[in-house]
Amino acid sequence: MIESNERILLLVGSPKGLENGSSSRLGRWVVDGLEGRGWLSESIHLHQAVVSEEGMGQLLAAIKRADVVLLAAPLYVDSLPAPVIRVLERIAAERRPEDVERVARFVTILNCGFVEPYQNETCQRLLRRFADRAGFEWVYGVSLGAAGQTPKRVRKALDIVIEALDLELLVSDEVRQLTAKPIIPSWLYVFGGNAMWKRQAKQNGTKAKLRARPCDS
Amino acid sequence: MILDGGLGDGEDTRDAGRMTGEALQHAGYQVEKLSLRDIDIAPCLGCFGCWVKTPGVCVIDDVGRDVACRIARSDLVVYLTPLTFGGYSSELKKVLDRSIPNILPFFRWIKREIHHVKRYARNPRLIGIGVCADGRADPDDEELFETLVRRNAINMHAPAHVACVVDAADDDDLRRARIERAVEKVAGS
Repeated sequence: MIESNERILLLVGSPKGLENGSSSRLGRWVVDGLEGRGWLSESIHLHQAVVSEEGMGQLLAAIKRADVVLLAAPLYVDSLPAPVIRVLERIAAERRPEDVERVARFVTILNCGFVEPYQNETCQRLLRRFADRAGFEWVYGVSLGAAGQTPKRVRKALDIVIEALDLELLVSDEVRQLTAKPIIPSWLYVFGGNAMWKRQAKQNGTKAKLRARPCDS
Repeated sequence: MILDGGLGDGEDTRDAGRMTGEALQHAGYQVEKLSLRDIDIAPCLGCFGCWVKTPGVCVIDDVGRDVACRIARSDLVVYLTPLTFGGYSSELKKVLDRSIPNILPFFRWIKREIHHVKRYARNPRLIGIGVCADGRADPDDEELFETLVRRNAINMHAPAHVACVVDAADDDDLRRARIERAVEKVAGS
């Protein structure tokens, strides 16, 4: 293994944490790839970091050490989960671009529960604004649909991102070509998804109440 | 219902909140304003329990449940926020994340995209008001904020929506005129 001494900081912005969920899995894919190329890594769960000054202090210190900051998060109502926005507000308040001594590269992986990856794009634009205002160098935003499922072409796209980060290259347009198309036809996603919700409700004994309107009463 | 997502002491959204309330009252609305920074609401767990375990109600038993219902019962909701990277503040977003019990888990097509099916027969109209507190909002910020509000309106089934960005540095008359125009656009629709 070649030692590179470069360091990636993975920020997981899902309530499911560092061990579970799509965001963690997707982030780990990139981190593992870079570790295989000799990089060092740190991982922080943003929902935990934001609840204490100690956690935020550790996060800000880790950002100062990082060459690349990777945010992996789910899409919540066209944007980021609230605790992630809270973290970004704090980071931006602490870092003025003109005062940042070491400009880390910033890359994101967003996944949404709809099949169309482009439904993440509004949020990617928000993140790009954040990067500009907090003294990061925006590299790329990977947008994935279908709750971040990773068929072969999506894994290939993530591998291209890994190589680009390692070699400090621009991320090629091939990544967009590999990820832009839904991984299954939308009619199948609707059909299969709706069946899944009914199955889960049945398991919970709530199938008859799925369309309840508790706020009408 | 005005959801005030002001940060810190709330100074950033105070004037715009007052002007919005006055414009809505003038349009005939009974106005309720929630200062979200004063309300402790736990973050969404992303568990989908509100869809498949306790349909229509969040599994977290805190005031977030009540706020979600108050949104569902409103004729009009205002998302009032300091413009935060072109979007919403964390204080506003903590409520929006907890409002997904108000839609169903099922998927359907809306304008050739997949979205969730509505739970309630009636859903509130939506006004997004972004306050640029630290200098002038640039056109990209405004366009991004409008896009976000429009995307939310689709997902939350708002029958009408409008987005409006005001600069804290502008004089009262200019800010009030912009807010009144936004209210007029959707208040009676």
